[in-house]
Order: sequence, then structure tokens, then C-alpha cells
Amino acid sequence: MITFKLNGQTVQGEEGQYLLQVAENYGVYIPTLCNHKALEPAGMCRLCTVELFDGRRTKFVTACNYPIWEGMEVQTDTELVHEGRKLIVEMLLARCPDVPVIQELAKKYGIEKPRFETEDNTCILCGLCTRVCEKMGNSAITLTSRGLDLKVDTPFHLQTDICQGCGACAFLCPTGHITLDKINELITTRQPEKIKSEYDVGLKGRKPIYVPYPQAVPNTPAIDRDVCMHFKTGGCQICADICPVNAIDHTMEDETVELNVGSVILAPGFQPYDPSKLDFYNYNHPNVITSMEMERMLSASGPTGGHLVRLSDHQEPKKIAWLQCVGSRDMNRCNNAYCSSVCCMYAIKEAVIAKEHAGDDLDCSIFFMDMRTPGKDFEKFYEDAKTKSGVNFVRSRIHTINPVADTDELELRYVTENGEPVTDRFDLVVLSIGLEIAPELIELSQKLGIELTPGNFCDTKTFSPVSTSKEGIFACGAFQGPKDIPQSVIDSSAAAAAAAEVIAKARNTRTKEKEVVPERNIIGERPKIGVFVCRCGINIAGVVDVPAVVEYAKGLPYVDFVDENLFSCSQDTQDNMSAIIAEKELNRIVVAACTPKTHEPLFQETLINAGLNKYLFEMTNIRNQDSWVHKNNPELATEKAKDLVRMAVAKVARMQPLEESELPINHTAMVVGGGISGMAAAKSLADQGFETHLIEKSDHLGGQGVNLYHTAKGESVSENLDKLIESVRQHDLIHLHLNTEIQNVDGFVGNFQTTLSENGKEEQLEHGAAVLATGAVPYIPTEYGYGEDPRILTSLELDKKFNENEAGLEKINDAAFIQCVGSREPGRMYCSRVCCTHSIENALELKRRNPEMNVYILYRDIRTYGEKEYLYKQARQEGVIFIRYSLDDKPQVEVKKDGISITVTDHILNRPIELSVDLLTLATAIIPSADEKLANFFKVPMNEDGFFIERHAKLGPAEFATDGVYLCGMAHYPKPIDESIAQAKAAASRAVTLLSQDSIHSSGTIAEVDPTKCASCGVCVSVCPYSAPSFAEEGRFAGKAQINPALCKGCGLCVASCRSGAIHLKGFDTDQIMSQIFEMDEAI
Amino acid sequence: MSDREPKILSFLCNWCSYGAADLAGVSRMEYPTNIRVIRIPCTGRMSAKFILAGLRQGADAVWVSG
Amino acid sequence: MTSYTDKIQEAAKRLLEEGKVDMVIGYRKGSVPMMNQPHYAKSAGEAEALIWDSHCGLNLANYLTDREDKVGIVAKGCDSRNIVNHIVENKIKREKVYIIGVPCTGMVDRHKLPKMVDGEISDVEEDGDTITVKTVNGDTKNFNKADVLQQNCADCSHRNPVIYDEMIAEPVEEQTDTDMFASVREIEAMSPEEKWDYFDDLISTCIRCYACRNACPLCYCPVCFVDESDPQWVGKSQDPIDVRTFHWLRAYHCAGRCTDCGACERVCPMGIKIREFTKKLNKDCYELYGWEAGLTAEERPPLDTYRPNDPEDFIK
Repeated sequence: MITFKLNGQTVQGEEGQYLLQVAENYGVYIPTLCNHKALEPAGMCRLCTVELFDGRRTKFVTACNYPIWEGMEVQTDTELVHEGRKLIVEMLLARCPDVPVIQELAKKYGIEKPRFETEDNTCILCGLCTRVCEKMGNSAITLTSRGLDLKVDTPFHLQTDICQGCGACAFLCPTGHITLDKINELITTRQPEKIKSEYDVGLKGRKPIYVPYPQAVPNTPAIDRDVCMHFKTGGCQICADICPVNAIDHTMEDETVELNVGSVILAPGFQPYDPSKLDFYNYNHPNVITSMEMERMLSASGPTGGHLVRLSDHQEPKKIAWLQCVGSRDMNRCNNAYCSSVCCMYAIKEAVIAKEHAGDDLDCSIFFMDMRTPGKDFEKFYEDAKTKSGVNFVRSRIHTINPVADTDELELRYVTENGEPVTDRFDLVVLSIGLEIAPELIELSQKLGIELTPGNFCDTKTFSPVSTSKEGIFACGAFQGPKDIPQSVIDSSAAAAAAAEVIAKARNTRTKEKEVVPERNIIGERPKIGVFVCRCGINIAGVVDVPAVVEYAKGLPYVDFVDENLFSCSQDTQDNMSAIIAEKELNRIVVAACTPKTHEPLFQETLINAGLNKYLFEMTNIRNQDSWVHKNNPELATEKAKDLVRMAVAKVARMQPLEESELPINHTAMVVGGGISGMAAAKSLADQGFETHLIEKSDHLGGQGVNLYHTAKGESVSENLDKLIESVRQHDLIHLHLNTEIQNVDGFVGNFQTTLSENGKEEQLEHGAAVLATGAVPYIPTEYGYGEDPRILTSLELDKKFNENEAGLEKINDAAFIQCVGSREPGRMYCSRVCCTHSIENALELKRRNPEMNVYILYRDIRTYGEKEYLYKQARQEGVIFIRYSLDDKPQVEVKKDGISITVTDHILNRPIELSVDLLTLATAIIPSADEKLANFFKVPMNEDGFFIERHAKLGPAEFATDGVYLCGMAHYPKPIDESIAQAKAAASRAVTLLSQDSIHSSGTIAEVDPTKCASCGVCVSVCPYSAPSFAEEGRFAGKAQINPALCKGCGLCVASCRSGAIHLKGFDTDQIMSQIFEMDEAI
Repeated sequence: MSDREPKILSFLCNWCSYGAADLAGVSRMEYPTNIRVIRIPCTGRMSAKFILAGLRQGADAVWVSG
Repeated sequence: MTSYTDKIQEAAKRLLEEGKVDMVIGYRKGSVPMMNQPHYAKSAGEAEALIWDSHCGLNLANYLTDREDKVGIVAKGCDSRNIVNHIVENKIKREKVYIIGVPCTGMVDRHKLPKMVDGEISDVEEDGDTITVKTVNGDTKNFNKADVLQQNCADCSHRNPVIYDEMIAEPVEEQTDTDMFASVREIEAMSPEEKWDYFDDLISTCIRCYACRNACPLCYCPVCFVDESDPQWVGKSQDPIDVRTFHWLRAYHCAGRCTDCGACERVCPMGIKIREFTKKLNKDCYELYGWEAGLTAEERPPLDTYRPNDPEDFIK
């Protein structure tokens, strides 16, 4: 350590440091233009000149490259120093009168006009560029010539391939003399490009060392070897020099790791379709963008900060068009015959959000072929987009996007449904691109020996939707077929279940027990608070005066110990903190560092290791919410840090050790519903080693599946169903309860007691989890003459005829199907999802039986999503005639002697036509069983249509918000067999995460009732989304509310709703939050 | 309006807005220092009493976000 | 009106004699004009003190809270709605209460009337729609009842009980052309400064006696937030901040539950228009959720419920 005087203050620096570095550490400002911390100083600009007293006399030295020594005395801002600097600035201004940095400096030094003759240079010859170029390992540029002619240039003023175009010189140049354009024109012969951010789909650049996206796991930077200069030249390594924890190692190599596993899950995803191959869309035009680019533009964290602009001129667009099916449903131009399933919904979503961002004046039009919104709640969203948000929907496939000359606009030509040609102009056109499988994935599949579908998706069977053609290898997500988030999440849980089924015996064979430090009892102790303030390298300490915060914290009530850490989260610091907590017998801990959202569990672990209850802890955020956001205001940031520490200390003093109650888990499962979903769930649970009770109210298994003929893939349902029923019946771990109803359910997660009535006999069942698979029933139509004539059937009735191979079907001459019977209309505003595929499959079956038969399908939108689209194509090829009708002009059906007459307005002819058929099949809606009694037993919600509401529409599709209760199949939403089985396995998978544990621990931060203050009003019971509060039925406080710790999520809704203040939220109790509010007083 | 900077007390939901405030830091956005954040487990925890207590304590505005 | 009195007495006597109830809660004449008192009739004899006139403004539901015996109760429209609230909030069991429904034509405003005569009122009599006021100076003045009604009664659209076991008379015609929220709209149209001044002025005379709270059937907590000391929510002083805090939080506690019975205003010794606070919340509940308090025991008030499928259309 070297001690010297800086402006009269005694300061310290390390041996070998330069004066400027030490001054910076102490917050003493010395101007400089030619210094950068990554480079050796050169003393070029002379602005950092200071006055040095060496004991005998004073002299002027440049601070940037003057090494410090013991006892020296430095003055940085004397009159003489100021005058000297002023002269330097004046000369720089004469040389570079138009450079903003110099102009600003001149203003600061009070120079209006230089006394010297002015030039029009922009280079101040600071040499940062040449030094950094050397550091980069290139030395492509240097200072050439001498004296007055000295300048930065390449040797012989020739463009060179030595320059890699890394741009470091332009990045460091203080005056803007070097620009990226100049590098391209004058320096390099290569043609360097900006590094595009993959996350922002090229709309933004990124660095060679980067975090791929904010939610990346792990959330640490990575080096892109392809563009990092070190891997090209061997130079640079500035990142390694600067990293204070020496985390960067450029010598790391890829390594081959071998793993022995029992099952493999493939979740490699998809790639967005690249529309640049389709020249007629003019994707190279800046205002033609893909939906992925639109997603990023609409995102608040995106390249435009959520501000919607067109890219040509960054003006707000007034009219936007979305073109559907780009790279989907298209054999001629891109060979992707399938429907990508997700684009209709995302286009509607983008249009609605765009209007939310830009206001109602924004004109949004979606050009589509069939609007495919068959997912849960999607149809309502589509309706609202039309009626509430005012999005235009135009049924037309646009062929070409024409840029309009001399404008930034784009022209689309299309024909309306009335046959009128229209030419319209748009500011922005969004291509709704489809999903496809990457070529390298096709290669991988070949290597693994996995069969693919015609669309190159992973081939799976309807009754084993996540199993690939190779045993032990499972697939999920868009690799198995284009699909949206909920279906992908369902698939992934299902794949986990399927993967676990085959290796169930190995469960818990490689687990290790953790050593536990006994917890110290602190009851009765006066609070002894320890405060640890983190410097986080320079992340916090670079802005916040950490020593000042430490000093301040020492004076706060009950604070016994305060220290600062360089990195509080590093392992050695953690160990050290544990030791200090134990040694000083601290009983409350505050860590002022980054965010509790990422680091609270880590520090709680530190407390546990010190034998302290982990809830005697409070973390306050002086990085993400202080130093990082107030970097230009260090003083106030320091004051804010003090306030935050004071608020945390006030709160932590009121913390009590909290208990995490332990609840044993009953390992038995109950599945309600013996249809395909229920059976699949039961089988998966049993295959994973868990005893399962399968409850079915009727006298047979199979549910609606017994009525079905073929799957969309042409497999026989009855054959597969019989196999499934047999395997369920034969399974040792499955207990079948036919003719059984549920009478009552008591208990909660891990500990349910259900009363069954089996063949009228009551029975008690104890189980840890429940899967509800109560299914759905077909709508019995009252329209279209149903019931008037035996030739008018529902889809299931036609399946029955196929199943029974009824004679005479092949003799039918004319057959028709009417779609959306009872679906997608007021009162039942949802799409039943399976009927389009079902009718087309049945139409083809009729054609198989009699190729001469005329088959008509009357539809509103054909929704053969995914690879079901092939069926639609095949049907058209085989001559099935599709006639579209609209909701306000439904077909008219009349039973006549010689046939059933159907009158429908043909959408091409735009006039009514009459069909006379011998067979009319009504594709009727699917209606949930909507068992309200069951819903009440398990306290799970249903939507207005009667479908169960899952925990989260996207991320929790196979479970309820109520712990320990799961759902699958058509009780959730109409769906085909493969999706039902996938969801059944998903529900089983989610249930196993619970059942595989011997006990669960509730959180400590949960609500608790003080019964003496409880008024029994029941607000808590009513408002809780998790059914945690109930009324005590017996004991001293019968009738008062009580909270089940196993169910409480600690949200505090009941606490805030309780008028009498009877409920406490441990860890966020009222007095604790109030103490923070009270301590805010001094703050701000 | 005067130039006086209002004192803002904010209650942010742990799961969304508090995370968003963290993200603002990660993105190195800048905003004035006159705001103090109290983290709550959910805006459902928010009681009208906290708002009034904050105002009484001298905050010019109370911001609840979740 | 006197016919109501007879019928109430008759019903009470019958119920008590038949042992259907242990007690009938109704009104008896107060010691001060226009201030009828609650009366607990436990025998047929005691039932003779029961009366009915245009001064039965107290909300009797207040006296049902947590009663375990079998109680008969005289209930006009608003009382019955508060009984519904009580049932919803577990303050009384439906089977423990026998409701003697009274079709109501409104209560006389006991703050307004004294300002319309000279001298202290010694007695108020009524005959049909005519209210006769006598003062200590011996003056007599007649009023049309419609002109001296409490504002909430003038605006009332639920004069008949919504729940009852017997009615003592045919239902009266409900008023349909009233505007419950006229004054709220006036306040809503004010600037923030004007609103602040308006409410400050409104409660400037408040002496924090809590009579409004005590008269309100909704306020039954074992410990009221104003009495809470750990932490102390509200200061005990007359500081305007504490006074405001009391009124605001009291109103919020009534959100979605207030039946606008007017008991709070009626009992206020300072004549503060306390309903101005609760009415705004009533209006919001009505407009956002189509909800009026106490009309059904099947559903809890909107702010008491959690529904995953809540459309939340108004949250932007």
C-alpha cells in the first residue's frame, strides 16, 4: 500500500497503480481524452496534467501514466493546472472546432473562440485507436508521418485484410473521427457486418460476449467464439482483465461427456420459417417483417422499447396487414403442406396488442384462408378482436406484396368475398410465418433412428403421443408437430411421465442426504442484527458509497455487526458469513445486495448453515433498484441505500423464527373418470409405481372412446382402446371402482379422504392426489331436423355405423356433413376442436366405401390444424366438396320423401344452392360433463361453459390451483385422443412430483388467524384462490377461521381482506410492513 | 406544477413488478432516486391502510403495482 | 301506520306465545321525539310496547349479531337486506331468525325537521302522509311526509323486505324513478382540489364518537381497526389525517355490503352526511359488478370473492 496526499487528503493506492486510477477510486475528477482502463496509458492528450510536489519543488506530470509513490503530494486543480489545461483545450478546439466533446470542454473552460488559426480536423491524435488495435492483436492502423502530418492510417494508406473490422477503434475514439463506415471504406478489405442479436431477430446488435436473452438459464454471459477477436488474433482478452472474479478462461475447450441413462427425451423445438426464399413477398423491404420481428417490436424489452414503428423511417404505422400461412399450408412454394397451428392466434394477439399500443386509430387487417382458433378460450379472443378491438379479418390469400414507388408503403391486391377486386396500401406488412423442423434436426433423427412424418416432425402414435418409433426415446413440443405453449407444456410433462414409466424402479436410487446444522433457539433474545453490505465488485460500489452505508448501518437500532463484502454470493464469503453469524451470535440478518428474487434462497442457506432459522432474514436491493438505475447520481443513490438498509433493519427486527410444518404424503392416487384420459392417467401413475384407484360412474371403461371409429391417423380406436382397457384391468396397482360415485371429499394435498359409493355401498378412500378426468358428452342437436329422420345422424352415430360395418353405407349416393352444430355460436362460444378432422376422416371413409358417392362438407372454417391438414388436402383431391356458410346464414334442412334437402348459400356463386342427400351427419359440439358437485368437493373452478379452469392457461395446463388436484382430457377442453392421452400423462407426471415425496414442507411465510379477533365473517374463506382458509369445526374456536398451512401460498389476500385484522401473514406481517413505512420517513 | 420532486412510496408484487424493477436495473435504465420500494408477496396483500400510512408518513404518492 | 303497530304487536305476541321465538326485536317509543329505541320483547306483555311509525330508522339487524337464541325481528326493506348480509357473513343463522316483514314508506329525517321549525320539537305525530310537528313554544306545523324524508328513504328502491317469514301488510309499490347516485355524480364531476375541500368540509365537525360505526350492522369486528394498537393504524386524535383515515377506511369496510339504510347518518350527533363516502362505493359496485348489497344470500359481495374467470373488464 502506498500512501500519499491528493488535494490535501491522505489517500492510498496499490504499488504499480497510476495516479489517475487512484484519483478515480477516491472520486477526484481529472479530465482525460486518451485514457481507457483496458489499455496502457500513453499521456497523449496531456489534459490530465496535475501539479506534483516531490518534497523539494513542484512539477507538472500527466496523471494517467505517472506511477504513484510514497509521500508524494498532488494537486489536481490549481490555478496553474487549470491554465495549462485551458491552453490544451484551446489548441484542440483550433484543430477540431466541430467535435462535440471538444466543444463541451471548451465551454467548461470558458473558451469561446480559439486564438489560433482553426483547422477542420476531427482527430486529436490521442492514439486510443492504434493502441486498442494493437491490443486486439491486429495493428492494422498506426500513427503515420511526422510532425504536422502525423495522422492515424494504415501503412501506405492501403486498405488491408489485417483489419478484421472489429470496430474497437471506432468504439473508443473520443471524437467520432473513426466511424464504422470509414473502417469499411478506408481501412479493411473485408466486409465486416454488425453482429445481429438472435433474440431480437436481427433488429438489434449484440456483443461477442453476451447473455443470449434476459431469461436465459444460466443467466451468465457467454463468448461467441465465431466473432470474438481473441479467437481470431489471440489478442484482446480485455474481458478477462476486467472480470474481478477471474471467471473468464479463453482456453476452455468443448468436451465430450458420456451419460448412462434409461430414457431420453427430445425437446429440440422448431425454427421459424424463413420467408426470404419467397421473392414475391419482398421480405427484403424494411417494412415487410416477420411475426417474430413483430413480437420483438411489441415487447417492452424489445429493440424499440415496445414502441411500434415501421423500420424504413421509424414512423408510427397507420395501417398494418398480417398475411397468414406464410410457409404453411403451401405445397407449391415451400413444401410445407401442414398447418402451423399457432399463427392465427398469434396474429390476432399481435393485432390486438398493436392496437392497444398505438390506439384505436391503427388499422389492423388479417388476411387469412381459414381462421383457426380451436384452443381453449381462443374463439372468444377471436370474437373480441373482431367486435371489441376492431381488427379487420379478410378471407383472402395475398399473392404478392408490391412496394409502392417513392413511398415507404406496400400495396396488396386481393378479392373480397363478394368477388370485388381491391387494391390497398399498408405501412407495415407482417408475414405470419410458420414453424418448421431444422435440417440438423432431421439429421439427428436419422442418427437416432427415429421416424419422421411427411412434414419432418417426429412420428408418434395416437395412443402413445410422446413415444418415438425408437423404444426409450420420447419427444415433446413442436418437434412432435407444430403446437402452442399449453400443448407443448402438456407434452413435456407427458414425456417426463413416459420417460419415468420405463425407469420407475430406479427412483431414489441415487439420492444423497444433506447434513443439517441444528437450529439455535433465539426465543427471548434481544435482536442482534448483522448487516452485510455487498459491493458486488463495482456494480454497487462503483456508484453507492459502500463504506458510508456500512458506517450508517452501525448506528441503527439493534445492529450489532456490519461488514462489507466484495461479492456476498461467492462461496468463501458465504462460509465467512456463516462463521461470523455463529461467532457473534447474531440473530437477525440483513443483506444489502442484489435482488431477493434470485439470491434470497442462497443467503437463507447461509443462515441455515449458521444454525439460524432462515426466516430471520431480510434482503434489500441496492443493486438492481439502486446502483444500476442511478449511476449518474451517486450521492442520492448512497442516501437511498442507507434508507433501504434502515427499512430492512426495522423489518428484520420484527422477524420471528418460522416453522415449516411437515405434512406426510399418502402415496396413493385417485383418478375420477374411466374414459381414455382417466385410464391413461391411471396407467401412467401405476406404471410409475403408485397405487391408483380409478373411479368410473358407469359399468364400463372407455368413456366416449367406445363410440369412435378411426383416429385422424387412421388407426382403429376400438383395437387400441381394448388394449388400454385390458392393461388397466390387468394392472396390479390399479384398483377399479365401476358404478361408483363420489359422495364426499375431505382433506387436502397429500391427505384426501374420499367417500365412495360403489354399487350403493359406501367406502372410504385415503389418497394423496386426485386426477379429474370427467370428460364430456356430445351435444344433442335440436336443429337441422335431427330426430325427424333416421338419415340425419350425429358424428358419433355415423362412427357407430362404421364400427358395426352397417350394410348399405356403400350404396349411398349423396352424403353431407354440417360443421359447428352447437359450437362457435352465442351461448357456446368455443370451437369443439375435433369435428373438422372427424368429419373429413368420415367423409374419406364414405369415399372409401363408395368412391362414386357425392360428399359435401358444409363448414365455417376448416380447422385441420397441424399435420391433420393433409386429410383436408386428401379429401379435396378425392372429390369431397367443401361449401362454406356463415353463422348468420346457416344451411336450411328439410326432410323430403326422396331425400334430405339442404339449402345453403354457396360462397363462390354467392347464391343459394340446394343439395339432396341420403345421409346428413351433424358435427355436434362437445359439452363438458360439468360435475358441479365434484368441483365443490375439490374446490376447483369451472368456466362459464362448464370446463374446469386449470392453474395457468399456458404454464399449468394439467393441474388445478388447488394443490394435489390435477386434470386432463375433455373436462379441460374438447380434444382428440392423442392430446387427451398426453394430458393424462401430464397430469400423472404432475401428480408424481407430489406422490414421490414422503412429506412436503409448507412455506414459513403463510397466513395465520388470531381467533380472538376473528369475526367469522368468512371473507378469507371466500377470497382465497387456494381454499386454504376454512371454519374450525370443533374446539375452543369452533366457527372461527383457520388456515391450512399446506394450502396457503402466502399471498396475503385474506390478510388484506380481513376487516378485523385477525389474520397475520408471517414474514410480511402488518407490523413489519408498517415498520418499513414508518422508516421511510427519513427517506427521500 | 413546481419543480419539487415528489416522494414516492411503492409497493411492488414480488412476482411481477418487483421483477420488472429488477429488470429495469439489468437493462441499466435510469430513473429518479426519490422512490422507495417495499416488496410484498402479492398485490392481494395490499391494504388501503398501507397507502394511508404512507401518505401520512410524508409520501406524496403511493404506487401499487402488481 | 298505527295499523302496522297493531299487526306487529299481534305477530310478536303470537310468536312468543307459540314459543316460536324466544324474543322479538322491534321498536318502542323513544324518550326524545323522532328517536325510537330498539325493544326486546320477551313476553306477550312486553310485546305491547312495540310500535311502528316514521321514526324507526335504526337498523335492527345490528341487534342480531351472533345471537344464538331464536329471535323474531321487525324488518323493513333495508333491515332485511342487512339480515341477508348477516346470514352471508355468518353473523346469524337463517333458521335462528324469524323475520316479520314491514313494507316501508320511508323514515323522517331527524336532522332536517328541526331546521324547518322554530324552537325545539316536543312531539311529532303523523296521519297518513301528513307529519305534524309540535314545538315547545306550542306551535304546530304540518308537513307532507315526502318533503321531510331521509334522503336515502326518498331515493330507496327496496322498500319491501327482500327476505321474510311473514309480512304484516301487502307490499308497497317500489320507487323506480329515483336516482340514488345523484350526489355522487356531482362529486365525481369536481376537480381533485374541490373534492378534497368538499370532504374536508364534510367531516370538519366530526368528534370521532364512533356512533356511526356502532349503529352500523356491518361493524361487528371484535376489534375495530380504530382500536388496534399493534401496529396503530389510526391515531386517536382529532388530527384531520386521523379523522379522514377513519372515515375512508370505515367506508371501504362497507364496500359492496352497505345497504344505504342511513343508520349512520341518523345517529350522527353532528349531522355529518356520512353516506357520501359509502354511496360512491355503492355506485361503483353497482356499475362495475351490477351488485346491490343484501339482495341475495346465495352470493357474496363482489369484493369478498375470488373468481379465476372474473372478466375484470374495467382493469386496463
